[in-house]
Amino acid sequence: MLNYDDELKDLRRQIFLTARKGGTSHLASCFSCLEILYTLYIRHVMNFDPENPDMPERDRLILSKGHAGLALYTVMCRAGYLTPEKLATYLQPRTELGGEPSRRDLKGIETSTGSLGHGLPAGIGMALAQKMDAIPARTFVLVGDGELQEGSVWEGVISARAFGLDNLVMILDCNGLQKMCTVEETISFVEWRRKFEAFGWSVDEVDGHNVDELERVLSTGNVTGLPRLVIAHTVKGKGVSLMENNPLWHFRMPNRKESKIFAAELGLTQEEMN
Amino acid sequence: MQRAYMSALMELAEKDKNILHLIADSGTGFDEMFRRNFPGQMYNFGISEQLMTGAAAGMAIAGKIPFVFTYGSFLVHRAFEFIRNDICFQNISVKMAGMGCGLSVSTLGPSHHTTEDISVLRSLPNLTLLSPATPAQTAESVRTAYETPGPVYVRIGMNNEREFFGESYTPSISGLDEVITGREVVVFSTGSILAEAYEAVNLLRESGVDAGLVNVWRLKPFDSGAFLEAVKGAGLVVSVEEHSIHGGLGGILSEVIAEKGGPRLRRIGLADKFAAGYGTLERVRAENGLDAKSIYESITEAMR
Repeated sequence: MLNYDDELKDLRRQIFLTARKGGTSHLASCFSCLEILYTLYIRHVMNFDPENPDMPERDRLILSKGHAGLALYTVMCRAGYLTPEKLATYLQPRTELGGEPSRRDLKGIETSTGSLGHGLPAGIGMALAQKMDAIPARTFVLVGDGELQEGSVWEGVISARAFGLDNLVMILDCNGLQKMCTVEETISFVEWRRKFEAFGWSVDEVDGHNVDELERVLSTGNVTGLPRLVIAHTVKGKGVSLMENNPLWHFRMPNRKESKIFAAELGLTQEEMN
Repeated sequence: MQRAYMSALMELAEKDKNILHLIADSGTGFDEMFRRNFPGQMYNFGISEQLMTGAAAGMAIAGKIPFVFTYGSFLVHRAFEFIRNDICFQNISVKMAGMGCGLSVSTLGPSHHTTEDISVLRSLPNLTLLSPATPAQTAESVRTAYETPGPVYVRIGMNNEREFFGESYTPSISGLDEVITGREVVVFSTGSILAEAYEAVNLLRESGVDAGLVNVWRLKPFDSGAFLEAVKGAGLVVSVEEHSIHGGLGGILSEVIAEKGGPRLRRIGLADKFAAGYGTLERVRAENGLDAKSIYESITEAMR
């Protein structure tokens, strides 16, 4: 059995090779939140059953930053929601797997995303429904820090507290980058903890690439009556030095020369690269 | 119309506990009654239409049947992407009611007019689009929305609409209801402007024109077969709507006639403009060529 460092490296290899075969992916976004997804699914922080994906008492995850769809599909493949053969159809002709996760295309995707700022409203609806039905489960919404510029997120931030959604956990993949530049260059005042606490949420901060730490924090329940933000400090492009913290890699695949660096750092053999 | 909407919704909410009444700080006057009778089935999201629409999608995915209610303009124009991506693309059971549609909110001007909702919503796959003209049709729309799988939009006016159809009304399957029989000119009207169209058709008949009137209750899916049957032999077809002439009822009829053939068409509505003027609905309609007399004159001119 692989230890989790090896397993995560293996997942990064698989994401990269799948993206390469498909032609493209938001790799840096995928690598940024991989440990978060791994913790939720492979460390079983979430209660779910791939054999019974509609199980009412399941925990729900919404990948609001849909660009990391390939990371989600890859982790869900490892968790048993889809076969490696199906995963390999990513972006192939007549595939059901595209760049953004879609509920139409795979059982277990709770809601289709892609346009930013939609995940929290949908998650609030699901968390409210869980409460109406007295289901003791949680709804997780994974958002990016650039995404917090969308106004609809803040409609949700106000409302989640008003509704007392203590079954709602928003995980912030806080890598400090957005498409064109840094989040700080864009909005200047980046103080998520203070902002969310001012809106009445409880806030935790973790190293978003440390699975043990993520597991410890995400396994605990919310403070009664409060929605919760977990700020996961991450590195966009984590695992490949060339991509790390460089906005250039928001939506770009490596050229021939760069591919050698990817291969070396991800531990891919020449044969796997062919 | 609001009373009809809410009584129909309460009847359903009694039977089906999954039915939810969602509002965004713009209620109906019957909300407290609803909350009293059905605690736990009503949520006020505050002034947050995107959130309400997106959350409705989440609720529907989790097995609820939310009825979203607010001013049509804020619902459709502001939350459009949520209606598109979260509700229609996913083809889920969210029912949306836009109130105060058309020029109903006549004192506040175009920021509060809902005059492009049909055009933008009609392009969305999976969506059923209902446009009741009277209280009885509004109540039927709520029941139809509940029985129709997938997303439904109900376009509701707010002008103390008079009843044309009576208590025992059941809507035609085609979505077209003949109000006045006439063969020479057939006028198609949708929504609360039916009252003006009715008067205009009567003026035509008084002047010796064999004019008919059909109310279009369901805009999508549109029954083009029933429409073509209704206009067989007519010299002129007219669309009347409190909406842009682009993409609304006039747009629907144009498309059918262009593809399948049929009589010449005169579209009456807002002709690529925002409505002028403020005041009573009566006056704003008149200033924009949508009162009975202007409709009558426009049709007479088209007949020449």
